[in-house]
Amino acid sequence: MMMRVYVVVMKVALTFLASVFAGSVGADVYVQCPGDTDGDGVADDFTDPEYLAHPDAICMSITGGDGYINMADTTVTGGERGRQLYMFGFADVTGIPPLDVIETATTAAWFPAPTIEVHEGEELYLSLTNVGMAVRPDLDDPHTVHWHGYPDAAPLFDGLPDVSISIHMGGTLTYYYQADNPGTYMYHCHVEATEHMQMGMLGNLYVKAGQDDLPHGTDLSGFTHEVGFQYAYNDGDGSTYYDVDFPLQLASMDPEFHDASELVQPLPFALMNDTYPLLNGRGYPETIIPLDLANTANGVVSQREDSLVTAMQGDKVLLRLSNLSITTFFTIFSPQIPMKVVGTGAHQLSGTNGADLSYMTNSVTMGGGQAFDAILDTADVPPGTYFLYTSNLNYLSNNTEDRGGIMTEIYIRDPNTVENLPNLLGAVDKNQDWLSAGLTSGGLAVDDTGGTATSSDLAAALDAAAYERAQILAQRDLLLALRDDNPTNP
Amino acid sequence: MKTAIDIALRHFPDLRRAAQALLLGLALLSGPAHAALDGVTGTDFNLTAKDGYISMGDGATVYMWGYALDGGQMQAPGPTLIVNQGDQVTVTLTNELNEPVSITFPGQQNAAAVGAGGADGLLATEAAPNSSIAYTFTASNPGTYQYHSGSNPALQIEMGLVGALIVRPAAAGQAYDSPSTAFNQEYLFLLQELDPFIHEAVEAGTPVDMSVRRAQYWLINGRSGPDTMFPSAPGTPWLPSQPYGSIARTHPGERVLMRVIGGGLDLHPFHTHGQNFRLVAKDGRMRETLQGISGADAGISDFTLTVAPGQTYDAIWIWSGRGLGWDILGHAPGDPCDPLAEECDPTSPDYDHGKPIPVALPEQQFLTFGGFWSGSAFLGQEGPLPPGEGGLNLDGGFFYMWHSHTETELCNFDIFPGGMMTMMIVEAPGVPIP
Repeated sequence: MMMRVYVVVMKVALTFLASVFAGSVGADVYVQCPGDTDGDGVADDFTDPEYLAHPDAICMSITGGDGYINMADTTVTGGERGRQLYMFGFADVTGIPPLDVIETATTAAWFPAPTIEVHEGEELYLSLTNVGMAVRPDLDDPHTVHWHGYPDAAPLFDGLPDVSISIHMGGTLTYYYQADNPGTYMYHCHVEATEHMQMGMLGNLYVKAGQDDLPHGTDLSGFTHEVGFQYAYNDGDGSTYYDVDFPLQLASMDPEFHDASELVQPLPFALMNDTYPLLNGRGYPETIIPLDLANTANGVVSQREDSLVTAMQGDKVLLRLSNLSITTFFTIFSPQIPMKVVGTGAHQLSGTNGADLSYMTNSVTMGGGQAFDAILDTADVPPGTYFLYTSNLNYLSNNTEDRGGIMTEIYIRDPNTVENLPNLLGAVDKNQDWLSAGLTSGGLAVDDTGGTATSSDLAAALDAAAYERAQILAQRDLLLALRDDNPTNP
Repeated sequence: MKTAIDIALRHFPDLRRAAQALLLGLALLSGPAHAALDGVTGTDFNLTAKDGYISMGDGATVYMWGYALDGGQMQAPGPTLIVNQGDQVTVTLTNELNEPVSITFPGQQNAAAVGAGGADGLLATEAAPNSSIAYTFTASNPGTYQYHSGSNPALQIEMGLVGALIVRPAAAGQAYDSPSTAFNQEYLFLLQELDPFIHEAVEAGTPVDMSVRRAQYWLINGRSGPDTMFPSAPGTPWLPSQPYGSIARTHPGERVLMRVIGGGLDLHPFHTHGQNFRLVAKDGRMRETLQGISGADAGISDFTLTVAPGQTYDAIWIWSGRGLGWDILGHAPGDPCDPLAEECDPTSPDYDHGKPIPVALPEQQFLTFGGFWSGSAFLGQEGPLPPGEGGLNLDGGFFYMWHSHTETELCNFDIFPGGMMTMMIVEAPGVPIP
């Protein structure tokens, strides 16, 4: 039934959109990026004066629109995916030619939004194209990007519609951010914030520290920096060093609100009741599946962030924790591996006189709009599987389905065994940059002179990835079997 | 799309005129060098617990209990009591409600009921209906505090028997005995929430079940958005029992002291658009590594503050407009540099003097314009706007929403927008702030 409604509405909507765009004047989809001559958000003319004037520019082209995702309550639906939810969201269209952007991104939003990773010193040209909500052609909502926590923000690029400008359907607004301050932030649409954020316009955003780029051998108050070392902040002493980092964003959704939106009903603001607690857009156990997931409405791969934390024993693991739930404070709990909290609010935890305010804990409590940088030191942690979950235990559920919600796993691997190669899989999924990210952190032999990996390295990595995937799917089957054995489950 | 402005205009057709009158009126008011905190100063205060009504941003009326000053109108929250460190303070409470009421002063030394007539309550000596009682305490430590009823407190705090208490140190322009807490502007944000069905039941005299409480209105200083952005009394005669607005104003580089109070029963994550704050104190105690020596050096920087019931916070917020990569004053390279609002050292990485915005902005037909958008990206300037757009920003200031990041709390009952939000305005250098 829902699908049929969807198809009919889609047709109407696309016709409507076509008429809108045919009648518009001006720039339409207009992505700005230094050195980009064809408007796809990727520099191609390396002699362009703009390109040369902005050597640290990075560009990203995203869209605001609608789409579908599925929750993790597969024991309720009995299918491969759980309950289908209509949603609003962002999608990454970097590299898509401007004439194809609207078609590509219509009803193809992602949740969570594309992760934005910026390095300190870079200039981010973030183009937001509003592709409209095709399933809701009655809505003419603009969208914005609010870089939550951007220091000394200007209203122009703050994304708050009341005090700024926001972009209409069919248009593109390019936000410009100079990334001077490392840390874990977040971003979301701020238009009709309660509605657009409940509907899913939320994403991870973080700035990597400039201290990463110091020359090899630099002395940091007795700590010797080496090429490849990474830090949460410009700490000056290596105290926020980490080997691998994972952005983990908490959120929650009210399925009744989403269904009301899809079916053009009054939205239940006063009755809002989030029953799907989510970690990077998924409930457990889908949080640990390192695969991009396609929805059941139109097959769009709309959930592209897993939350599986993998590390070699001895690694320091930086969790970039943020909460964009619009209803709930969550406490995130790491019962077996203590966390060292080194930052909050995209600032290192240090006092105005430099006093170290970091602390050890097993849990942090986060309200909406809060972020924590927490480092897990795995030096003394035996290889194995550990858990990270909300200790608000009522949120360990996917709506009516028990054993779900905000929970993920931490795989600590033995550096001496071959099964422990595939940290790669996460790197492939997340970055498409597995040569640099995966091979250095995943344990594959890379010579210290920085030589590139060989094709046999790649083959081994792919084998390892397939191996891990099979293992995870087997584990998930086991979980589902356990659930089926539980008479209290629906 | 409904904006805060649409809602406000619907309820208050004269909003624009009122807002302009507010901004102009505030500019014309004479006052001390620092923005005066709304409230009452002295050492002896007469409060009356009585009932009344407040208006919500959606036009609803809610029955309340509150503390009135000198037998006047019930007000929500209670009068902000502003005293000086070392004062011996006396607060006389007269109870005109039909159940016992009291006042407790968390964090104050030697707080006690004096004289006859009181009875032991849960947290404080209380006054029976139609009787009076006096409390005294010594305001030994400067800081931001609250006072509230200690009788039947779950219900009475829900009903509004809460207020702020400010203790000033000897040094003017500081929150505490340390220059690290100095400020140019100070503002109070007392956060509350209420469940209108409980208030209806109390008014009707029907049984109240606090266990099913679910807040539907979220307040700053007793008002829900957009009323939060209107001026304080006497500028808002249509809000007679909600005298305290919460709009905040400052200039680039100035130190804003945020005094934040958890005055209700729920947690709220309070987000400051525009810049991180630096926490300098909690519960009236400075965040210091060396007590009495180091000043407020141990406060964290954050963009969202967890405001818990009963807790108070002091934080310093400074917006400088630096590090944007473009000149927020809209200067041409040859224009004189303004050290109040921009970096004037050409060797600094923050030197943006004369730099244009690196991107082109879309044409007007692709944009929606906020009511507080001046039409210009540059501080203190105005730009072209389509007919009927903007108009709520007379001086070209930069508006930053300060709000609960539990966005359901940006509603008034079932209507977005509203709730726990207000605006911080960064005005151009030279624009007067009362």
